[in-house]
Amino acid sequence: MDRLSKPGRPEPGPIVRALQYHLEEALASLWRGRRANLLAVITITTAMFVLGGFLAVTSNLRQVVTRWSAAAEFSVFLQDGLSGPRRSAIERMIDQSGLAASREYISKAEALVRFKRDFPDLAPGTEGLQENPFPASLEVRLRSAAVDRKALEALAARLAGTDGVADVRYDRRWLDRLMAIMGLVQWAGIALSGVLVVAAALTVANVVRLALYVRRDEVEIMQLVGAPIAYIRGPFVVEGILQGGLGAVLAIVLLALAFGATRARYGALAAGFFGQTPIQFLPVHLSILLVLGGTIVGCVGGWVAARSVR
Amino acid sequence: MGPGSVIETEGLSKLYGRSAYALRDVTVSVAKGEFVFLTGPSGAGKSTFLRLLLREELPSSGRLVVHGRNLATLAAGQVQAYRRSVGFVFQDFKLIPRKTIYENVGFVPRILGVPVAQQSRRTFQVLKWVGLQHRLNAFPAELSGGEQQRVAIARALVNDPMIVLADEPTGNLDPDLSLEIMTLFREINAAGTTVVVATHDRDLIRRVGRRTITLDHGQVVETR
Repeated sequence: MDRLSKPGRPEPGPIVRALQYHLEEALASLWRGRRANLLAVITITTAMFVLGGFLAVTSNLRQVVTRWSAAAEFSVFLQDGLSGPRRSAIERMIDQSGLAASREYISKAEALVRFKRDFPDLAPGTEGLQENPFPASLEVRLRSAAVDRKALEALAARLAGTDGVADVRYDRRWLDRLMAIMGLVQWAGIALSGVLVVAAALTVANVVRLALYVRRDEVEIMQLVGAPIAYIRGPFVVEGILQGGLGAVLAIVLLALAFGATRARYGALAAGFFGQTPIQFLPVHLSILLVLGGTIVGCVGGWVAARSVR
Repeated sequence: MGPGSVIETEGLSKLYGRSAYALRDVTVSVAKGEFVFLTGPSGAGKSTFLRLLLREELPSSGRLVVHGRNLATLAAGQVQAYRRSVGFVFQDFKLIPRKTIYENVGFVPRILGVPVAQQSRRTFQVLKWVGLQHRLNAFPAELSGGEQQRVAIARALVNDPMIVLADEPTGNLDPDLSLEIMTLFREINAAGTTVVVATHDRDLIRRVGRRTITLDHGQVVETR
C-alpha cells in the first residue's frame, strides 16, 4: 500500500513529527478560514506598517541630525572695530578650551561675499547699502559630535560675556531641540503602533478562537483520545504565528514599495534638503525585528485563544 | 478493588444542580476482559456513567476506580495519559468530515507521537479488521451509517486500548447493521479487551447475551 512508509527511509524524530503535524494543520486551517484569517493578517500588516513607517522616518531623520551634529559649528560674532589683541584673546580662549578642531576668521568683507554667493537672489539688495552690515566672526568647528555638552555650554556663556563679542550662535541648541521633538514623534509613533499591535493580537486571538470553534468536534475527539495538550493547542498557536509572520512580511513589502515610490518622487527634493544624502529604507536589523515582532504578536494571539482548550 | 476488576465503583453519585441526580449510589464492578451492557430507559444515567469513565466529568461523591486508579484524583496530565488506555465509540460516530477514513483513524496514533511506519501499519490493520480497507480515501459523508460506525470502532481500537466504551453505538443503525456492529464488539472482547456498551436496545442485548447492568433514575435496579 502506498501509505505504508517505504523501507530504509529515515524516520523523523518525535519533535519533527509534532512540528510537521502542527504546521500541516495550521496551514489547512488558514486556508479553510481564509477570509477571517485575511482580516487578522491585514490588522497585523497595518500595525507593522505604521510602526515600520515611523521607524523608517525617524531613522532617516536621526541620521541626518547626527550628521548635522557632527558638522556643527560654533559662530562667535565680533563687534565692529575689534582690535587685533582683543581678537587674539578670544581666539586663545577658544583654542585653550580643547573643544575646537579648527577655527576660521571671517572678516566683514568675506561675510558679505558669502551672503552674495549663498543668496544670489537677495544679493542686489546689498548694492545700495552705505556700509557692510555683516559682522566679522570666528567660525569654530567642534572636535566631534561627542564633545561634552556642558563644557560647550560653559564656553558659549564665557564667550558671550567677553568684551568684543557681539553674539554667540551654537548650532547644537536647535539640533538638540530637533532631537527632542523627534524623540516625541517617535514615542507617539510607538504608542500608536502599540495600540494597533494590541488590536492586531486581539484580532488574531478572535480569528483563532473562531477556528477553534469550527474545529470543536476535532478538538473534543483529540481530548478524548488522550492527545497531549501541546498537540491540541499547537496548531492554533502556529496558526497565529503564521498570521503574524505573514502580516509583518507583507508590511515590509508594502513599506518597501511605499519607500520606492517616495524616493522616486521626492528623492531629489529630500536629498537637497538633507544635504545630498539619499533617504534610506529601514535598516536590516529593524526589518528583522519587525517580522519577529509580528510573529510574536500572532503567537500571543494564538496562544491566548488556544489556552481555552483544557 | 476486587481481584480481577478493571472498573469498580462504590457509592458513585453524580448530582446536577441541587437535587437532580444523574447517578445515585451506584456500586458496580466490571472484571478484566468482561463484556458488559449498560441499559435502561433514556435519562437512566448510562451516558453520565460513560462520561465519568472517560473522565469528562467528576463524580459528586463516591469512588470510581479504573485499573486501580481513582479517576477523581487524576491530575490534568494524567487524565490524557489515562484516556490513551480507553477507546470510545459514540452514537453519532464523531468522525471529522474533512478528513478521509484513513486520516480519521490515522490521526490518533499520529497525535500520540507513534512513529510513522507504525502509524500506517496499525491504521491499515484496524481498517482492514473492520472491513474498510477498500474505502481508505473516502470521506465520512460518502459512507453508510454502519460503515461510519465501523470507522469509529477502528479509531477506538487503533491505540490498542484496555477498555472500549460505547455509548448507544447502534442507535442510528438498523437491526441487521446493529448486530454486525455488536459482532465486532464481541470480537474485540474475545481478544481480551474489556467492553462496556450502553444501549437501550433490549432486543440486541438478548441476541448478544452478555452481563447486563440496568439503570433507572440513576440507580442500579438489576444486574444479570
